[in-house]
Amino acid sequence: MAGMAGFSREVAKRVFAEELKSSNYSFRDGQEQNQYAPSYLLTPTGAKCNRVFVVGTLTEKDDIGGDTEYWRGRVVDPTGSILIYAGQYQPEAAQLLASMDAPSFVAVVGKPNLYQTDDGNIIISLRAESIQKVDEATRNQWIMDTARRTLERLRELANVKPAALSGDFATADNVPATAASNPAQDAERAVQHYHTDIDHFRQMVLRALTSLKSDLSKGISEPEITSTEKNPVRSEEKSAAERVSGEVPAPRKSKPKKSESLSAWPESESDDEVETINIGKKS
Amino acid sequence: MKELVDQIQARLRDQKITVEDVDIESRLKKLITDFRVPEGEARRSVLNYFLKEHGIMPQARASSEKVKVGEIKETGRWVDLEVKVLDLWEPASAAISQTGLVGDSTGSMKFVKWAKSELPNLELGKSYLLKGVVTDEFQGRYSVKLNRTSQIEPLDTDVEAKPASKAARPTKVVDINEPGQWVDLTVKVSQLWEINSESISQSGLIGDETGTIKFVKWVKADLPDLVEGKSYSLKNLVTDEFQGRFSVKLNRTSQIEPLDIDIEIGSVAAEFSGALVDVQKGSGLIKRCPICKRSLTKGVCSDHGKVDGTYDLRIKAVLDDGHRVQDVLINRETTERLVDLTLDEAKQMAMEALDHEIVRSVIEGKLVGRYYSITGPRVDRYLLVESISELAPVLTSDVDELLAATEVV
Repeated sequence: MAGMAGFSREVAKRVFAEELKSSNYSFRDGQEQNQYAPSYLLTPTGAKCNRVFVVGTLTEKDDIGGDTEYWRGRVVDPTGSILIYAGQYQPEAAQLLASMDAPSFVAVVGKPNLYQTDDGNIIISLRAESIQKVDEATRNQWIMDTARRTLERLRELANVKPAALSGDFATADNVPATAASNPAQDAERAVQHYHTDIDHFRQMVLRALTSLKSDLSKGISEPEITSTEKNPVRSEEKSAAERVSGEVPAPRKSKPKKSESLSAWPESESDDEVETINIGKKS
Repeated sequence: MKELVDQIQARLRDQKITVEDVDIESRLKKLITDFRVPEGEARRSVLNYFLKEHGIMPQARASSEKVKVGEIKETGRWVDLEVKVLDLWEPASAAISQTGLVGDSTGSMKFVKWAKSELPNLELGKSYLLKGVVTDEFQGRYSVKLNRTSQIEPLDTDVEAKPASKAARPTKVVDINEPGQWVDLTVKVSQLWEINSESISQSGLIGDETGTIKFVKWVKADLPDLVEGKSYSLKNLVTDEFQGRFSVKLNRTSQIEPLDIDIEIGSVAAEFSGALVDVQKGSGLIKRCPICKRSLTKGVCSDHGKVDGTYDLRIKAVLDDGHRVQDVLINRETTERLVDLTLDEAKQMAMEALDHEIVRSVIEGKLVGRYYSITGPRVDRYLLVESISELAPVLTSDVDELLAATEVV
């Protein structure tokens, strides 16, 4: 189906940063199972993403490239943050990211990228197709949009039969791969792989909406500069701390080595530090 | 806080449930303090939580009312239906034990019975009272879901319903929004296309006053050929869908009657809301062939060769609502208003930059990533934009509504 004339654009899925970062399952899917089949990241709530749309606050940006520019940015939403990359193969996005101020509200369309570090950690980032500066109203709309889509997926999950506890990996791979998979199948596959805790992600949506609500109550017509104050202070501290650890290449100091298998759940708490490992152009 | 706890305790006592005050309080605190949930919502959430813990469905779900299929116009409602099973389909997922079509005198709709519900199977052609089923919607089409709390009671009486498959209804092109429906159309053939499959005898576009749609006539159907520009009454066609675009198929059971009248092909506005995720090549400042108005590639028209083109401004963009993508075309007038840039200014800008692509960059900067709502006629894969507006800002009441919905997932 997807192969026909090669002309069906992939939908950009709406996924909160926390959920994106909890993802660790990617696969190729399509009528023909070859290297040209599109690749997907399946998130814990069953969003099958070849492309995602994210709106949030760009809190930091750095050129981490060597001879050629390779830009990395961090985009924060009410649930967490995600790293975006743009290099020589995304010239327009790279150029825009380079010219942007942090902090500012940005909209990013990008392809999810799963990268496994030497010690087995999984890092999800986005290879940006486009980055544009937007306003706070658009960010608010995105939170609503993403909350709605996430709830739709949670409803699908609630209807999936509890997965058999044995051999979760095998079952996930055994689900017949069809390009025309539907939300129910994606949900089933997600449950089999992640044993998704619905309430955990329901709480994530609640948190996002509640923080949006308190943002709204603080008024919307504030000037651009105050936007920094509205971001969780946490992100500010974090970015400062990380900039340090990001520039020094090796010190994976004091951090306990995480050695879960692929099927295990990455803990959201300790992820932030992991993310700053300089993965360079590999992604 | 004490007050809230007491209110919840009172409600729980009604259901003969005992819960420690501290458990209620810690849950309330978590919602109100940590997650900034408003008190009313938190109270409801905590109450529902403990009710659910003890196997009692919250109030909102407990009462389902008896309705007709045709009355179902919202999602998440718990209803009772007296219906006949009109069709059974192959479930697409192991999570589904049965799926198909049920109907009564007012209409028919899809039903889904979850494997988890452990309900008995429905039989084709039999009538049932379905109690405590929940309504759902996907892309404007309603369905009902049978879950663990639903009940099935066979009825002795036969519920009157139109048989599903063979009952083709006279339909307008614009109303075709569901695959697998049998329809009668009164249309004019607007285009015939080249055939690239041996199983297809004819394919092209047909239309009525509400719009156009692709048709496919199978070789096996053994039907007379349609002539471009002629009008016909086409009976018993089946609708199909591919990537959000609908078509009709003429098969062995279909009939073709030529008409003497001439059907005027028109269009009815379609709507789409979503994020604008791409401004495609060929947007911005372009040149058109003075003869056929088509856009030129490097000053060359594909029909008329090298011509002296005229400047125009347009946008080819992609809107995406998270479920579907929609290609849209925005003409000069709307582009000028939307981007706040006239054709003359665009020309000036391109001249100064010695690059007409700069106009596309400016358009991207203004539109990409924002949410729009558009209306206009649909022509093939494009929606020709007649009106476009940014979505209204999010209001606190919108957020509250969604928060409430989050509670009942």
